[in-house]
Amino acid sequence: MKPTVEEIGTLLALKRHERPEDGYFDGFLREFHQRLRAEEVQQKGLAGWWRKTSAWFSDLGASKWVYSGGLAYAAAVVVMMTIPRGQEVVPAAPTPVSHEVKSIEPAAVEQLDALDLRPSTQGSTGEQEF
Amino acid sequence: MPDDSLQPDPDEDLVARARNGDTRAFDALILKYGEKLYGLVYNMTSHKEDTHDLLQDIFAKAYHSLPRFRAQSSFYTWIYQIAVNMTLNFLKKRKRRSGMSLNELDASFQDDPALVDASHLANPEKQSKLHELQKRLNEAMLSLSEAHRTVVTMFDIQGIPHAEIARILKVSEGTVRSRLHYAHLHLQSKLQDYWE
Repeated sequence: MKPTVEEIGTLLALKRHERPEDGYFDGFLREFHQRLRAEEVQQKGLAGWWRKTSAWFSDLGASKWVYSGGLAYAAAVVVMMTIPRGQEVVPAAPTPVSHEVKSIEPAAVEQLDALDLRPSTQGSTGEQEF
Repeated sequence: MPDDSLQPDPDEDLVARARNGDTRAFDALILKYGEKLYGLVYNMTSHKEDTHDLLQDIFAKAYHSLPRFRAQSSFYTWIYQIAVNMTLNFLKKRKRRSGMSLNELDASFQDDPALVDASHLANPEKQSKLHELQKRLNEAMLSLSEAHRTVVTMFDIQGIPHAEIARILKVSEGTVRSRLHYAHLHLQSKLQDYWE
């Protein structure tokens, strides 16, 4: 025998009372705040590193251009060494070619006689026949 | 149940404070919706540890996304949308990762005490039958597709009205009703051998 939709609904509604154990959300909130703090420290770490680097760079004065040039050169070398080179071209195996000459039969004279060579079909533009 | 179209968001003040960095206001929102979202995620994943981790991710995402919350829907609808999307994504990944079987899922889900009825406690035979039925119901729930399990969880277990489910899932009310209809047919056929 099948249960009715209402009976299924009643059964499922009993699951509404499922709850996590007492005190679950105290621990949950503690963990949540720890997570937020860790994310904040990580972000500050990255931002701090960037601030220190840019401050050091601006303190260098005129010599910063020399450092910049050196860094750019080093970066270019690294890029050239890391980018994969194009694959070597392997020559394709030669395919056999037939050198035998085949004769083409000339068109029959009867076929040429059958052609309509009147002026209207010879491409005389502007002329019309009435 | 908040209705976006009729009344202002009851969480407006807490959301505004949380947006300005008041973590206690956000704690209040977690305490307000935590249990409901726990029920939603647990009934969809059937795994307590996954539920806990997902719930942490859901609230962290909501916290970081608060500046982008435009209040076009209530906070309740918005955080439910985040929870449903993240849970469905998690289930897809879990299925791809391991093809988790029912046996690997939380044993307590198949044996949860939700159906222990006080009126049957004095009758061991009825209690045993109810226990068996409860197990079959949970197994039947797990055999539903994710889309169907979502609507059954939201409608039958959490008591959310069709219109609200439609808003959360961003589908029509007709789609919600249709999914519920097919989900109920599936549950009926799965439970017919154990029903008297």
